[in-house]
Amino acid sequence: SLPTDWTAEKDFKSISRVTQPTARSLEPVGPHFLAHARRKRHHRTFSEDERI
Amino acid sequence: MTSESAIDDTQYPQRTAIGLSFGNSYSSIAHTADGKTEVIANEEGDRQIPSILSYVSGEEFQGTQAKAQIVRNPRNTIAYFRDLLGKEFKDVDPSPCHASAHPVESSEGKGVAFVVQEKEVAEDGEEGEKSTLTVAEVTTRHLRKLKESASDYLGKDVNAAVITVPSDFTDAQKSTLSESASKAGIELLQFITEPISALLAYDAKQQLTDSGSSAPQDKIVLVADLGGTRSDVAVIASRGGIYTTLATAHDYELGGSSLDKILIEHAAKEFQKKNKSASDPRKNERSLAKLTLEAEAVKKALSLGATASFSIESLGDGIDFNLTVNRSRFELLGNKVLMSFTRLIESAVQKADLDILDVDEILLSGGTSHTPKIASNLQSHFPESAVVIAPATSATAINPSELAARGAAIQASLISGFEVEEIGASTEAVVTVTPHLTHAIGLVTGEEGFAVIVPAETPAPVRRTAQIVVKAGGDVLVRLAEGVREISVRTEDKATTNGNAKKDADEDEDEDDDSDDEPEEVREKVWKAGKVLAEAGIRGVKKGGKVEVQVNVAADLSVTVVCREVGGKGGVRGTVPAGKAEQNGNAS
Repeated sequence: SLPTDWTAEKDFKSISRVTQPTARSLEPVGPHFLAHARRKRHHRTFSEDERI
Repeated sequence: MTSESAIDDTQYPQRTAIGLSFGNSYSSIAHTADGKTEVIANEEGDRQIPSILSYVSGEEFQGTQAKAQIVRNPRNTIAYFRDLLGKEFKDVDPSPCHASAHPVESSEGKGVAFVVQEKEVAEDGEEGEKSTLTVAEVTTRHLRKLKESASDYLGKDVNAAVITVPSDFTDAQKSTLSESASKAGIELLQFITEPISALLAYDAKQQLTDSGSSAPQDKIVLVADLGGTRSDVAVIASRGGIYTTLATAHDYELGGSSLDKILIEHAAKEFQKKNKSASDPRKNERSLAKLTLEAEAVKKALSLGATASFSIESLGDGIDFNLTVNRSRFELLGNKVLMSFTRLIESAVQKADLDILDVDEILLSGGTSHTPKIASNLQSHFPESAVVIAPATSATAINPSELAARGAAIQASLISGFEVEEIGASTEAVVTVTPHLTHAIGLVTGEEGFAVIVPAETPAPVRRTAQIVVKAGGDVLVRLAEGVREISVRTEDKATTNGNAKKDADEDEDEDDDSDDEPEEVREKVWKAGKVLAEAGIRGVKKGGKVEVQVNVAADLSVTVVCREVGGKGGVRGTVPAGKAEQNGNAS
């Protein structure tokens, strides 16, 4: 539940950032990877990709 | 052809692509059509085709026929050559080839070759000139034969393939194999690693069975490819159907032939016990070759039935040999070897910096995975939460001998319509090297608890949605945080069983249910909330309503969160900006 004294701009408060990621190599195999490669090569986001 | 023709045949040649699994011991070919994958049997009816070539009076034999020649014609029979490909002579281990043609240093340079009597022996008894065949040439002949078998079956010329290779195959090995394939008339579309291929085949099958769910679940899978002369293990993070290999482990001496040796020893001892005057069949090359062939057949029979019989005509000194072996005897004799499979598989988990509790599935691939004891050893060694997928433990398991070829066939069907440049562009490092989350992202539950939404080792960008039920309703605070997985170890005295401990004791029951007063060690996976990333307030949720939380992690690791009540209007949306570069260290 929400504490009564909790407030934030537009009810959202950003507190800290995600820890630095690890660079790893994906296996270029399977339908889901091919979809990922398509998005990446055409610089599309998930929702843009879905519309096409 | 008119110039208006939309499809220019010269630019887009018709491909017929297959999946090809090329192993040291066996090779397989598979094809996918209309969403169905099948492993193709060659003209001898074999789906597991021995990777063996033999030359008998000027004629070439391959597969099972060639394998039989190891007894009569060992020096002109070439076997176990896949791992010799693209390697220098000094780097290869020739021991698997001991019973057949021995590898020699190629006169053409650094590579490995075999010297065989390929041409027919002249009528006057004078032996013809022997041929020196490089491993690359042997591979070309083997692949050409596989291509022919596939073409005959499909009724059209097979001209392209996805070929599986071990996860530690070097670039030199790949380029030699790729050259051999093109000489055999096969356009190599892509190399994929054996464990990934096996997992792809398994996941494709799962997709068909539980139709409805679109993307596969996030899971950590151990794929153990247990072959004839070697075994390879890979720890794979499967995230929404995208695979990342976290660690691999290899053993170049452990495999099905290690199990065959146990049966050979056993049979040889029994033979000498029964025939006191007979010489040791292991000392005679031909007798040993007969024993080796039969031991493999007996082992295969023992994977299916409880008993099998050795039966060899004229094993040694003209004496026939018959012996019945039952499975439990074999498992007793092979206990040490069987346990080393478990150890190898566990070592891969450690290499990946994981705990055995993190493993969701263990997929057994490769011919040796048919051995029931290997699967049952794994089942008792790993926690119950880990599902072991093998014929002995799962009724729906795919034949492990076929997994690699099936996966390759699926991949071949996915990319056979692509242009070469397109395949190349998709497999470049620019596309494959991706940031993976170091920690899981999820919601804080209760005081310190944590519920995972996006697991660790998930590649960005990623989008995941979770729903939380709000029983009481009203205003809700959603706290998004990074989670830390801990392994809690408690020693538990069973005598003082309280309510909580009872539940845990039940879970461990079959492991050691008769350990009387021994304090029992209970290991559990516990999630704790770490760094809080963001907070969002959702106001006026209905009693018993549901709040949907969508987490979008972008490629730059900025996180966008959208929270809204299911069926409600509006919602809260906010972004946690990407990490600053300086957090990366001050080195730059």
